[in-house]
Amino acid sequence: MTAITDASALHEAQPRGPLYWIQRILTQYTIQCLLLVVVIGLSLTNDNFRQEANILSVLRQASFAGIGAAGMTLLIINGAFDLSVAGLLGLCGVVLAQVLPDINVLPTVLLTVVLGTALGVANGLVVTKIKIPAFIATLGMMYVYLAIGFIITDGQVVPVTNKAFRNIGTGDFLGLPIPFVIMVVTYVVLYGIMQYTTYGRFIRAVGSSENASFVGGIPVDRVKIFAFALVGLCTGLAAVALTGYLSSAQPIMAEGYELRVIAAAVVGGTSLKGGSGTLFGTFTGAMFFTVINNALNLFNVGAYWQYVAVGMIIITALGIEALRHRFGGVFRGT
Amino acid sequence: METQIASPAAPPRDKPLPFILRFFQVFESLGVLVMLLVLFGVMAAIKPVYLNVNNLNNIVITGSIIAVTGLGMTIAVAMGDLDLSVGSNQALTACIAADLLTRTSMPLTIGATLLIGLMIGVVNGMIISRLKVPAFVATLGMMSVLRGAALLYTDGQSILIMGYDDFAALNTSKVLGLPMPFIIALVTLLVFYVLLRHTPFGRHVCAIGGNENAARATGLRIGLTRVIVFGLVGMAAALSGIMLSAQLLFVDGTLGKGLELQAIAVTVLGGTSLAGGGGNLPGTLLGALLIAAINSALNILKVPPFYQYLALGLLLILALTLDTARRAVIKRVVSGGVR
Repeated sequence: MTAITDASALHEAQPRGPLYWIQRILTQYTIQCLLLVVVIGLSLTNDNFRQEANILSVLRQASFAGIGAAGMTLLIINGAFDLSVAGLLGLCGVVLAQVLPDINVLPTVLLTVVLGTALGVANGLVVTKIKIPAFIATLGMMYVYLAIGFIITDGQVVPVTNKAFRNIGTGDFLGLPIPFVIMVVTYVVLYGIMQYTTYGRFIRAVGSSENASFVGGIPVDRVKIFAFALVGLCTGLAAVALTGYLSSAQPIMAEGYELRVIAAAVVGGTSLKGGSGTLFGTFTGAMFFTVINNALNLFNVGAYWQYVAVGMIIITALGIEALRHRFGGVFRGT
Repeated sequence: METQIASPAAPPRDKPLPFILRFFQVFESLGVLVMLLVLFGVMAAIKPVYLNVNNLNNIVITGSIIAVTGLGMTIAVAMGDLDLSVGSNQALTACIAADLLTRTSMPLTIGATLLIGLMIGVVNGMIISRLKVPAFVATLGMMSVLRGAALLYTDGQSILIMGYDDFAALNTSKVLGLPMPFIIALVTLLVFYVLLRHTPFGRHVCAIGGNENAARATGLRIGLTRVIVFGLVGMAAALSGIMLSAQLLFVDGTLGKGLELQAIAVTVLGGTSLAGGGGNLPGTLLGALLIAAINSALNILKVPPFYQYLALGLLLILALTLDTARRAVIKRVVSGGVR
């Protein structure tokens, strides 16, 4: 959460009472508190939920959307979003599955990540150079990626038989699921980029005010392309993990991925207007959705009700977010 | 409707635009029309079957159903918002219409379904304006909720509409030689056009889309306007749901997937800017017909479905590239005028 350059920190001269801090935590870490309440509640009420195997499975499930959501958070902070990630992930997945039998695991992973980054750069170029609104440009690119994926595979599912590669999706490392480890590393690296590199800080600046950034001499277009490239990179990583997990790839393997990824970021407190948001929030958001899905499954809620529940939760979480903003100023005492 | 909104601070009527801008305004719609005519010309040359009356009928009917949703979406885009729930809304209302038909009379079915669509839209609007949830996320949530509702309503089964000739006539009958769905789309266009261009309500919508803070400062009732706009979008989606069930006569809860993106695409193709501030409704109708015509052409040419995705994607990007070029010209003209 320290990722936020918190202006209100400047105003903390006088000591505050415990009530202030409780309110402050509740307003600033709403989604984290919500997740904590849900997890504790579930652990107390459902025996199956607190099983180690279930917890590890939740961590694994959360990481597929979570990895992509990390890059998307930076892009949303930058003031855009990318609807092409579902097609991009599918295309990366099928290319990966096609080349895997011919080359080794490590080169395949590298190739996939490079391909993802290149496609991300392509998105960025379409948005910045042709100046098409990101919404439509990336929507169009999604269809293009999907089509290329279908053309490569001729509409067939490509199986992955390589054991070592499948281990990336299904295996454990130090007792933790490997996708989850990838996810944590992704978040740490992106956090480092946001905090300690010039371009990382430019991302937030451009998202806050593109005009001011431009006047201030920030290479706005290059920063945007950089953000799109990061989304492509993360999506490429997600493709590696997901293909390993499913042991097969097809172009529509990630249907609806774009909305899940954006929802994780937004529920985590990233504003679609750009300029504000945290990776920690998105991480929690991705966890939150998976925990809810897991809980609905454990309580035997039907698949159709799950649609209703997930929709309601998105709206409620954002409603709380809005209340937080309305009263946030009061608590900060600014 | 207007009287509720009419505010003392109604903005003055637009001054007539410079000639070049008017030219571009007309050209925006014409651009799609030209693409449509070129497509027909090319297809007539290589596959005369394409211009067969039956095929043209199909294009017009499919296009009209997309257009009705697109017209609603255009108003939301004019206000600077998007409604992602229209696809699920269409599925739910199509199922409800099919189900109600077996229980009550046809006029009641249509009336009730439209009312349900309106209510869905109003709920969307309330979530956005009361709970202050961004429209994108609120309608994304509703998309999921309504999809679940549609699947629950039908219990995952399909509903077959049989023996309701007057309902099927909504799709098959002709007025003045034109298919009924096209007439419905034209009437919707006319109503929305008058609402958007010739009432205070429409000007408020464009004002909010142009600059919400300025609109608020002028004293416009933004919340109410937004609720009405989303109500209209919901009602339009319900109307397209009725039209779709009359066309298919076989509905289930999985209909309308991806319709939201298609509706936004035809809106943008028609020349409405996603930035908000105005809507080109006739352009949306033409955009919908163009998409239907392209899909039909790809089908007749036996292009594999994968390439249809490619065509749709490239078309979107092409249309937007033209839009960028147009705006660059307008900017030059406007700043030239200032100097």
